[in-house]
Amino acid sequence: MTETVVTELNPAVSAAAVIEALTSVYDPELGIDVVNLGMVYAVTVAGSAISVEMTLTTPGCPLHSTIEAHVTQALLALRGAQEVDVQVVWDPPWSPLAMSDSAKRALGF
Amino acid sequence: MLNTDRDGAPPHLPASALVAAAAALFAATLYLAAQPQVLTGYVGAPRLIALTHAFTLGFVTLVYAGTLQQLPAVMFVTRLVWPRLGYATLSTLVLGAALLVGGFGAGMRPVLLAAGGTLVCLALGATLVQLVLTALTRPPRDAASRALITAVVYLFISVALGLALAAVRASPALAASLGYHTALHQYVGMFGAFLLGIGGSGQKLLSMFALSKGGPAWRLRVMAYLVHVCVVSLLIGVAGFAGSLMTWLSLAALAAAGALQVWEVAALLQRRLRRRLEAPVRRYVIAHAFLPAAGVLLLFGQRDAATAAFLLGFVGLAVSGMLVKILSFLTWTAAYAAPVSAPASRTAPHQGVPARRPSPPPLLRDLLRPELEPITTWGLAGGTVAVVLAMLGGWKLAASGAALLLAVGALAQLAQVVHIVVKVNQAHRVVPALAGGHAVQEREATS
Repeated sequence: MTETVVTELNPAVSAAAVIEALTSVYDPELGIDVVNLGMVYAVTVAGSAISVEMTLTTPGCPLHSTIEAHVTQALLALRGAQEVDVQVVWDPPWSPLAMSDSAKRALGF
Repeated sequence: MLNTDRDGAPPHLPASALVAAAAALFAATLYLAAQPQVLTGYVGAPRLIALTHAFTLGFVTLVYAGTLQQLPAVMFVTRLVWPRLGYATLSTLVLGAALLVGGFGAGMRPVLLAAGGTLVCLALGATLVQLVLTALTRPPRDAASRALITAVVYLFISVALGLALAAVRASPALAASLGYHTALHQYVGMFGAFLLGIGGSGQKLLSMFALSKGGPAWRLRVMAYLVHVCVVSLLIGVAGFAGSLMTWLSLAALAAAGALQVWEVAALLQRRLRRRLEAPVRRYVIAHAFLPAAGVLLLFGQRDAATAAFLLGFVGLAVSGMLVKILSFLTWTAAYAAPVSAPASRTAPHQGVPARRPSPPPLLRDLLRPELEPITTWGLAGGTVAVVLAMLGGWKLAASGAALLLAVGALAQLAQVVHIVVKVNQAHRVVPALAGGHAVQEREATS
């Protein structure tokens, strides 16, 4: 599974709590959360501002805006979080190799 | 950023079209159940033509037109130029299709056929213009998007040719000068619009649902060229040049195009990362078994039975599978893609803990009633086989069985689409926002 790059600068919320909150955001088609799918590339927490760099399984994914909104919503619900910035990037593209073992098993690998 | 709620039409618009399409298919099968003898009679009989158009326009074309309110935004990664045009085009299409089917069923009433055909032409013409203008804002370079656009062009040409046929039928002078070429109308619709449309949109959707990324697109490109060859050869034949050679060429191109589509789906499945396919996706895949079956029937000179296998078996099952998947996407997106609200009340005792944890929204597969899917698949597939047998042997028992199986399959599909809409609406009232915190295994266990 691809490791998420974590950066903390005087954080009001721990990066671990951010990642834990992101496991509540599911791809509703695959039934697996964005962390276990390996979509979360980087998490930066600077004070009360959280920045997440993530990807999706495919460009043009119809759930793009929905998943992005759900990530923002899940992180804004964290105590201490005031500002959330979600960047969806396509480089590097998502690959199944990025998934956790449990996600691979769930998809029948 | 793509937002299907903002960049496509409002989700309830295509969703309504998909529900109406499922209802139209069920209504057609009910009529067939009441009159199964139409399957063993003359294929040019008005009632059978009415049933065929109830299927091609009321079901397949309505699913196409509904899907085109959202799919271009997804496939071209842009926004529709007129997201609310669907209010006019879809209602016009439904009215036109109803008049056409009624016109055929009432014994080829010229006024109804002319009015219905004109409305259907207007609706699909406007849909085509919207699609082309949308594509011009971000010209698609992939074979799937281009195939989709080409399929809609052929769909429009097919209904225009159908309208021309109605005019020819009503005017002896026109008939004398133009002739009555039903094959062109049928081939353009079945292969230009349906085969190419299912090939194009299916390649995109199947690769999304099965996680089959990054394969070559040459088969789809060649298939599109072969469909062009088929239509052009027919046109040349209709114009009076080398008629038998052109017929042979069009059929050869068609056979090769069908084989490429089967090959493309097999290749997508072979490189898929998601091993277990969901039932509607399996139905889309099963549909492809009817392509070689139709080819064999055609080879043995059974053109009507081959047409039934192609339309009901291949087109019907493929469109039915995608209908359920697309509808669940649309209704889910409409219910849960709400804009991000202000932070929830902060009552959590510890830093970094979510303040509230309402239940998460359902997964897309949780929206389905799984027991209905095999009924739809095997009802429609079994009904198609029985229709073919009834047409081949003139067996009334097979015709009655076909009507029953198709009605059961269509009813299960209608029940499924109604269930999806109702379930999402109920769940949305209970689950106002996303949060949660389940592990992968927990979600898998509940689904």
